[in-house]
Amino acid sequence: MDLALLEKLTQTYGPSGYEDAIRAVIGSAIEAVADETRVDPLGSLIGYRRGQGGAHDGKRVILAAHMDEIGLIITHVEEKGFLRFTSIGGVRAAHCIGTRATFANGITGPIYVERRDDASKLPELQHLYLDIGCADRASCPVRVGDTATFVGPLMQRGSRLISKALDDRIGCYVLIEVMRRLDNSAHDVYFAFTTQEEITLSGARTAAYRIEPDIAISVDVTATGDVPKALPMEVSLGQGPAVKVKDGGMIAHPHVRDRLVEAAERAGAPYQMEVLLGGTTDAAAMQLVRSGVPSGCLSIPCRYVHSPSEMVDQGDVEHAIEVLLSLLRETL
Amino acid sequence: METLELLTTLTEASGPAGYEHAVTHIVADLWRPWADEIRVDAMGNLIAVQQGTGPQPRRAVMAAAHLDEIGLIVTGFDGEFLRVHSLGGVDRRVLLGLSVRVHSRREIPGVIGSRPPHVLPPSERQNVLPWHEVMIDVGLPAEEVRALVRVGDPVTIRQSTMALKNGRVAGKAMDNRASVAALTLALEALRHREHAWDFYAVATVQEEVGVKGAITSAYGISPTIAVALDVTFARQYNDSNPGVFELGKGPTIGVGPNFHPQMVKRLAEAAESDEIPIELEPLPGSSGTDAWGIQVAREGIPSGLISIPVRYMHQPVETVALVDIERAGRLLAGFVCGLEHGYTPRWEDEV
Repeated sequence: MDLALLEKLTQTYGPSGYEDAIRAVIGSAIEAVADETRVDPLGSLIGYRRGQGGAHDGKRVILAAHMDEIGLIITHVEEKGFLRFTSIGGVRAAHCIGTRATFANGITGPIYVERRDDASKLPELQHLYLDIGCADRASCPVRVGDTATFVGPLMQRGSRLISKALDDRIGCYVLIEVMRRLDNSAHDVYFAFTTQEEITLSGARTAAYRIEPDIAISVDVTATGDVPKALPMEVSLGQGPAVKVKDGGMIAHPHVRDRLVEAAERAGAPYQMEVLLGGTTDAAAMQLVRSGVPSGCLSIPCRYVHSPSEMVDQGDVEHAIEVLLSLLRETL
Repeated sequence: METLELLTTLTEASGPAGYEHAVTHIVADLWRPWADEIRVDAMGNLIAVQQGTGPQPRRAVMAAAHLDEIGLIVTGFDGEFLRVHSLGGVDRRVLLGLSVRVHSRREIPGVIGSRPPHVLPPSERQNVLPWHEVMIDVGLPAEEVRALVRVGDPVTIRQSTMALKNGRVAGKAMDNRASVAALTLALEALRHREHAWDFYAVATVQEEVGVKGAITSAYGISPTIAVALDVTFARQYNDSNPGVFELGKGPTIGVGPNFHPQMVKRLAEAAESDEIPIELEPLPGSSGTDAWGIQVAREGIPSGLISIPVRYMHQPVETVALVDIERAGRLLAGFVCGLEHGYTPRWEDEV
């Protein structure tokens, strides 16, 4: 794996709505391997690869991975300089305590929880604060509305990778690798690095409206059932990418789902079938654009989703790339 | 076809949200004789067109009834048993004792049971099983189950439709095949009557998971106005809520922000002129029906709603009155025939 690229992808700042820096990183990574790139009005970066198949055999395909990450947004600066915040996307209070958050300009501090009379209950975001070391409000360089993301460096443990923002920079990585290795597809492929997935799926929705694809596939992370006392779920780390059947927001189109399964079998890649009970991906938005788009999702199994220490398996990532390459080489 | 036979055919077919194709084929065969054109769109919505007699450019009215039913989906395995979760709003209290069809590469019969009351501790006898303890038994040993069934395979309830006394019928999927039956009757009636507007009958998909087929079919058809057909709550035992309606007293017409006042008015006028009993059904927010998705498609589509009362909604014994289905079909047909060439619902006319 190109861990240098993945490090840059995961460590670059980019909460939903503020994707400029990560868009620049991805833009320079795909410049040489795209026939065209453009940035659409909501900030999604589209890398286009022209197909060789002509109108008959070639389809218009979107592969979408979102480049935004979850984060925090400051709601109030206290007299003594402590910062109160709410979430951008699905941030859980229990994941925050004792971690660090960093702003676009590099200011960083720990998140902690105020003392509560009844500590037996889980805290909520309103009980947390961010301490960047300011003595008071007057000297605080952070303003209401400023955004921050988790600190979580990339590390490797055997075949596992651990970092913040693997949701969904690992999907961005997969798309970039597919662009690098793709040759001779019949299809016009639009690699969409989308914005604002974590809050509203807006970037994918508008990107798909403009592209008018025949087929839409998102590449995103999914939960697993392989950790202590997990809710039963048939997806495990290291058992291959997961072909989504259903999640909280979408039933995958059976045709797209079956093409992904066939692509995996052709590539000799292990794969898992996925039913995710909560949460969804860009595919749910792309499915409903205009008069409807057959949509599916190839998932990278991921533990500790939406924490500063998300974990994926390198084998699953590599196999996901192979499955997508195999998919794009065949008739859709 | 008699209404009972039509309703039985439609309700006994299996078509959970996202996997409606088996029912789509049945409805396409039913609609083909009455349609000038019939097609299936990218989402799977079935669309039948009847051209109007007015001069071009003609306006279009869309009528939508959702085809999908609630069901289950296989989420995993526990030994020889299949673990499942809901596909749409399944009432977990009524799952025990059901026979089901597991739609794998081929269809496999199964049952859902639990430990017998004799061995349950008293504390557990009152409990509804949590999803992770709802299991389907197909009779096969563990390794064979895994070879035949995949995670993600849909499951439907196996239930025969049964005529009760007094023109009432009980079965699964009355929500919303009762409306598909009404739409079928309207399509047939409109073949024999003159209507100025083009009429699009749409059997929509994936209503139970977010009115999805309605959103995309309304975009694709781009009608001038639309009417959704769905079911509403019928009065039943131990239910004194004001928002319920008597079985057999006619369909309801939705009133509220989801509906254009002129659609409500015209539907009520059509009912009056054809002497069809109706009740107005106040729906203060989202109607939760296809009308909710259609209303905001493109630049906005004035929408109305006709609902058929049903008892025991989302349970496998949903009960309807045949007369309500027939009246809903007649009401829709009369409404469509009443649309004069050049008519546009305008807010200016409301002030």
